[in-house]
Formats: sequence, structure tokens, C-alpha cells
Amino acid sequence: MSQVEAVLALLARDLRGFFRSRSQLYSSVLFPLMLLAILGTGVSEGLDPRKIHDYVTFLTPGMIVMTALFSSTFSSASYYQDRDSGILKVFLASPHSTRVILLGKTLSSVLIGAAQALLVLGVASLIPAIHFQWQYGVLPSLGLSVFSIALLNFFLSGLGQLLASKISSMQGFHLVMNLVLFPFLFFSGAFFPLNDLPEWLKLAGRVNPLSYGVDMMHLALYADGSGGYFGLPLDFAVLSLLATAVFWFGTGRTVSPDR
Amino acid sequence: MKLSTTPAATSPTAEAATTPAVEIDDLRYSYGDRTALDGLSLRIPAGSIFGLLGPNGSGKSTLLGILIGRRQAASGSVRALGEPLSTRLRSRMGIVFQEPSLDATMTVRETMHLQGRLFGQPRPATVREANRLLERVGLAERASAMTATLSGGMKRRLELARALLPRPELILLDEPTLALDPDSRQRLWQHLLEANADGCTLLLATNDVHEAERYCQTVALLDAGRLVAQGEPAELKRDLRHDAVRIEWQHDPASEATLMRAWPDVGHVRVAGRTTHVTVDAASPFLTRIFQQSGDRIHSVQIEESTLEDVYFQLVGKAIAPRAEGDGDGEQAE
Repeated sequence: MSQVEAVLALLARDLRGFFRSRSQLYSSVLFPLMLLAILGTGVSEGLDPRKIHDYVTFLTPGMIVMTALFSSTFSSASYYQDRDSGILKVFLASPHSTRVILLGKTLSSVLIGAAQALLVLGVASLIPAIHFQWQYGVLPSLGLSVFSIALLNFFLSGLGQLLASKISSMQGFHLVMNLVLFPFLFFSGAFFPLNDLPEWLKLAGRVNPLSYGVDMMHLALYADGSGGYFGLPLDFAVLSLLATAVFWFGTGRTVSPDR
Repeated sequence: MKLSTTPAATSPTAEAATTPAVEIDDLRYSYGDRTALDGLSLRIPAGSIFGLLGPNGSGKSTLLGILIGRRQAASGSVRALGEPLSTRLRSRMGIVFQEPSLDATMTVRETMHLQGRLFGQPRPATVREANRLLERVGLAERASAMTATLSGGMKRRLELARALLPRPELILLDEPTLALDPDSRQRLWQHLLEANADGCTLLLATNDVHEAERYCQTVALLDAGRLVAQGEPAELKRDLRHDAVRIEWQHDPASEATLMRAWPDVGHVRVAGRTTHVTVDAASPFLTRIFQQSGDRIHSVQIEESTLEDVYFQLVGKAIAPRAEGDGDGEQAE
């Protein structure tokens, strides 16, 4: 019971810190909406409408996934802030295992990432130019969106912890995350459908865990009678498996007292 | 070489206690090729203020790291508060780290409440105890302030109050007064002594000989992860040459140092720039002789009381605290 209390205490503490950092809160939501307006409108004008129907709506699930991607991984970087401020040592000196401490911190990343992604979904649903299809019905589709956002954030927050175990500085973490994040994003089907890509890019899309999250989101919000690129069962299987494994190993890592 | 190992248990709590607060046997730890703890054995009486005194790199912080579970010993055994080390045991221990360890985005009150939750205390008890401790360390009026706005001394007092919140039986102090001004230092020690009077064992790691002498009932002198000597400060100094003489010279005193080292009533001679620090059996005959020999080269003379620094130098042949004048031993930080 006290372990649950410790996880909740750390979760509450990270959430409070996030809400106190207004710039992080605003920019994480405004950036994808801005990208949606600029990229969505700009590309729509230059696109052959026969290839992608309603590009702005197509782009929205990708922007939601991007929000989850950036916010959960950047929240994972709070590990470095805690380490550098010395507070991490205090947490580790408490009567809890390292896993409990990392679980509290990682769950806060999941929650922050998911909340921001859902906020973007909420705002996007109010924009008249965006026409969500809700092909399974509004509530089931919304449920699927929330579920896929949560799965993605578990995966990404766990990934953030795994990377933090290998990278000693926050600058290095951001550099590596950018190296990982951008290819993840570009070859995920967030900006353009994987269908029309050359074979080698399709392959990159298939091995990219994010593609399965984007596919799920497209199925929930954009697709109209389509079964998606991979299909819901495969999306669910791949993402669940990866999220569970990465989250487990990420929160089970050792924390070196020397760096 | 070891001096007396008789522990000084002056407080009533210590006398009443039968189980040592910490029992360490043949403890070893290495950072790669560098040995940090080399078969260290110690008994720390419950209820006492116990000092680990040694230069940087002597193994003090490593030992505290093992006690708090941040490091795993390569071999040897450690028991604290009558139990083997475990995660659960940490609920009975507190620590004040050498470096700052506060979250700048939290208030003073939030810092205390988070500690209470981490240690599984019920919220009403946490609130009550936090208020009491903040009052005690003089931070009650700053309870709503962000920790980033506190002075260095206030931050240290908050860290101590946080460590005291779960009512620990043993507090590990890793150079807690480092970089504090004398007033803040004294206030912090006043709170530490109050905690000790409440029955809490204090284990202090320091390289400040004056602090160790003034506040610790028992001091263990460490060098390169080994116990050099252990005992009450006065007891440790008993076998030392009686007087300490500090001479400031008008030039480099290398030849005078060589001369003094050859005299039978001289203990050790430390040279730091143009200053020599000498321990002697008796200051008067020594000074008569040195003035006869080299009086025209002496700038000033000061007779000082011997310190644990002198004990350490006599036993180990090097100084504890790195000195700006250049007599430090060039040890690495842990």
C-alpha cells in the first residue's frame, strides 16, 4: 500500500511541476495545432485530392501521435532535472525500490503525454475544417483513440527511461531522442500514407512501432470503412507487446549513483 | 596502527542501548581499480554522535552510500539498527546529502509533505510533524515559499527537517555544513544536537576536524578506506605530542624543517608554503632552541592547541583537509 502511495506521491509531484511550467504546457499543445494549420492547409492546396481525401483530417491523428511522442519523451527528461537537482537521491534513499521510484516518474510521463494528446484531440474536434469519421461510432472510436494514446505513451515513456539509462546528460538525451523521434515520426504514416511509399520506406514503416499507433488513430478518427494499413488486431498486438516490454525494462533499469 | 577503540557513550540513550546503531565488518568496495573501502570494521553506538573523519577519497561518502542502499559492498557485512541492510530498513534512517537535494519547483511545505508520503506516513501526522519541524528549524514562516528562494543555510535546515520528518533512529550526515557561514553552521548543529537528544544516532562524515572535535563523542579516522584510529577526540589526542607550534618564516623553510625533524622532542613537521606546523613535547624549550638556531629568519610564532588534524598527520603522514597553501595531499574527490 505504501508503495502505491509513493508512486502516487511522485506522480502528483511531477504533474504539479508540469502545470507550473506554463510554457511547456502551452507549447506542447500549440505546436501540433500550428503545424496542423500550416502544414495541413499548405499541403492540402498542393495535393492531388484523389490520393488523400481531406488531408487536414488525415493529418490530425498524426499530430495527436506527435504530441504524445514529444510530450512523453520530454517528460522523461525530467529524470535528468531530478538527478541534477539532487532530489532523485532523496527519492532513492526512501524505503522503496528503484522500480517504484521510476514507476512513479514514468507514470507521470504517461499521464502528461496522454493528457496533452487528448487535449489536441479535443481542440481538433472543435475545428470545422476537421471532419472525424468516427467509423466505429463516436464513443467506441473515442475509446480506441484514448486507448492507443495510452499504449503509445507507455511505450514512449518506457523508451525514454531505457535511453536515460544509457545517456548521461540531458543534452545527449535530447540529441538522441531527436535522432530517434524524427525518423519514427516521418516513417509512421503521420504525414503521408504508407501505401504510396516505395518498398524500402514501407519496410521502415513496418518496423517502426509508431506506425501501429498512427494506424490505430487513423482507424479511430479518419478512416471511413477502411481496415487500416496494418489492421486493428496487428496494431493492438504489436503496440501492447512493445509497450509492456519497454515499460517493464525501462522502469526496471538500474540508476547509477555516480552520474 | 590503532589507538583506543573505546566508544564514548555519553548520552543516556546511548547507555541504555544494547544494540549498536551500525555494525560494519571487513567492508570492501572499489571504484574500478581504486579501492574505496579496504576491510573497514566499525561499531557505532546507538544514540551517539559518531564522526567519520578523513580527507576526500578516504571512503566516508562511500560508506554512507552503502548504508543508504545506493551502493552494494563487494564483501563484508553491514547491519544498521540491528538489521541487515534492506529497502524497508531505510524507513528508520534519514540522510542529509553533501550536495543540495531540493526540488526548486516545490515549496517548503510540499517538500516536507512529499517526504511524509514517500515514507508512508498518514497525512494528518505528516502535516502535524512538518509544521512542528518547520517551526523548530525556523522555516514556518517560509512554508509557502519555493525552495529556490531560500538562502543556503535555510536550504540546509529544510533538508535536515525533511530527514527528521519520518522520525529516523539514525541520520547520516555527509558534510552537512559544507559551504555554510558560521552562523548557519551553528544553527544547523543546534538542531542536530536536539535530534540527538531525542535519541537519534548521528553519523557524520566530515573533513572538518574542528566540527568533529566539537560535536562528535566518538571519531573514526579513515585513510584510503581503512580505519586508522577510533576513540573520543580527547582520547585520540592524549598520545599526541603536547603542543602544536605554528611558525611563519621569511623564506622557504625546507632546511629548518629538516633540522626540526631531527630533534627528539619534535613529533611531526608539516610545511605549507612559508609556514611550518610542528607538534612538540613542550613548546618553551623547543622555541628557545629554534630561536637560537634560526631566530633571524622567523616572521611570527603561534602556539596552538593540538587538533585531530595533528593526530591524523602523526598517524597517516598527511593532512585531512586540502589546504590552499599547498600542503594538501592531492587526493581525489569520492
